[in-house]
Amino acid sequence: MAHAATHDHHDHHGAPKGFFQRWVMSTNHKDIGTLYLIFSLTMFFIGGAFAMVIRAELFKPGMQLVQPYFFNEMTTMHALVMIFGAIMPSFVGLANWMIPLMVGAPDMALPRMNNLSFWIMPFAFILLLSTLFMPGGGPAGGWTMYPPLSLQGESIAYTIFAVHLMGISSIMGAINIIATILNMRAPGMDLLKMPVFVWSWLITAFLLIAVMPVLAGAVTMLLTDKYFHTNFFNAAGGGDPVLFQHIFWFFGHPEVYIMILPAFGIISEIIPTFARKPIFGYRAMVFAIASIAFLSFIVWAHHMFAVGLPMGAEIFFMYATMLIAVPTGVKVFNWVSTMWGGSMTFETPMLFSIAFVILFTIGGFSGLMLALAPADFQYHDTYFVVAHFHYVLVTGAAFSIMAAAYYWMPKWSGNMYSETWGKIHFWSSVISVNVLFFPQHFLGLAGMPRRIPDYNVAFANFNMISSIGGFWFGASQLIFLGVVVHCVFFSKKKAADRSWEGAKGLEWTVPSPAPFHTFDVPPVIHDDELAHGNTDH
Amino acid sequence: MPGMTDTGTEARRKRARRTAMIAGGFAVAVFLLSIVQMLRV
Repeated sequence: MAHAATHDHHDHHGAPKGFFQRWVMSTNHKDIGTLYLIFSLTMFFIGGAFAMVIRAELFKPGMQLVQPYFFNEMTTMHALVMIFGAIMPSFVGLANWMIPLMVGAPDMALPRMNNLSFWIMPFAFILLLSTLFMPGGGPAGGWTMYPPLSLQGESIAYTIFAVHLMGISSIMGAINIIATILNMRAPGMDLLKMPVFVWSWLITAFLLIAVMPVLAGAVTMLLTDKYFHTNFFNAAGGGDPVLFQHIFWFFGHPEVYIMILPAFGIISEIIPTFARKPIFGYRAMVFAIASIAFLSFIVWAHHMFAVGLPMGAEIFFMYATMLIAVPTGVKVFNWVSTMWGGSMTFETPMLFSIAFVILFTIGGFSGLMLALAPADFQYHDTYFVVAHFHYVLVTGAAFSIMAAAYYWMPKWSGNMYSETWGKIHFWSSVISVNVLFFPQHFLGLAGMPRRIPDYNVAFANFNMISSIGGFWFGASQLIFLGVVVHCVFFSKKKAADRSWEGAKGLEWTVPSPAPFHTFDVPPVIHDDELAHGNTDH
Repeated sequence: MPGMTDTGTEARRKRARRTAMIAGGFAVAVFLLSIVQMLRV
């Protein structure tokens, strides 16, 4: 199909020779995608180092290693770095690399803006991380930045500026993705023929442009409250701190789905490949993603059941939240149905995907428990919540990113990774992550609060188990780093153009590694090559 | 970019710029709406 158009161009012509020109001035979607992925991996290890400090302090009761304020800085920074520095940019990196290849476009629609979107990020995070070395320390009021607590330090101005920069970067990235998907598809790549990953990103990008400006608004008002004597959130001046929580979570809950919808897309690419079957219920999968995105706008107050909402609001937000289980259930059942009767093999991307389906579902179930307003009064602000969102974000979002890295690394690098070491990484990660997070459910149910550096001796055993799991999980990710470095620089095993036997979709029609320029001439689309199989079925 | 001489692709890029302007305008509008509280200060 697209071979004639792409094989002529696999001599890397056009790639700038100098390091500065190639990487700093890049407008190439693949190079910018690589930059995003390297950046997010770096942030993953920095955020992971903060998590190690947290788990080391919580290894046993009493104060061990750090001062309480520094502990609070670590919990705040761990969240900000992981959410805005690791998870989100890695999905944007995957989008940059794969969306043009999947829709048959020569590049992103707005390549220069793409460059700017990326290069804002390092500055935002240098600014954010530099607060740790400033007098008074970094932000310590939690990633949610609730006033008045968050306004107590002077670092809030730096944090807010960093959040603004991250927001601008995310919004520009999202605009680029929307413009690319809606306008740059090859002729014949109808919307309902696009891979589910592309669909998931289109919907995510709409979520991003709808809610990132809301976060920008919230933190701007925080800034004016701190430095310009406004009283939006200051009760003493007639303001309302709960207003901040409403605005923040109107951003925050869709943000949760911004971090999971692209994961759904990735899993929907990988499972059909290794089950050697088209995805079950393609249209249902797309509509389920859209439904989840819609519902994400009307559930924000389930984060605030304990602030004293009116009864009617509690009931509305409880039922609206529980509704999300329906489209999510559709997705889980469709992934299982795709595997059912398939000719499955269990390479590393598939192992991570299966772990995703099982463990994300556990995170979803604990989410349903938290959705119950009366029960939430017990769970609120306990380690049960920590366990819940780490199952969703680590074994959900992070596992999907690892699955995607293993799945597409042959296409990116032209080399096969070590399957043995990939599987060692998987098994080590999947066991340790459960040792790390599962006991936190019990801690939360027993009443251990979040964001506290010391705790009652009654919680000692589960905390020690959790910390051992944490160190083990952290060390396991060094294996991942080793696998990536080995694959890119040292692997002798060359990847085929179609690196996986069951892989379908336009990205597998270009050579491995993908040439610097692809689809300069739009490819001819054949239905039997589409990622999800024939849309008529 | 090199090789981008295809008129169809150029036309699609033009449409893409328009889409980007609309999406960007939407984002700015949402931002202004979210700080509309400021008008009451």
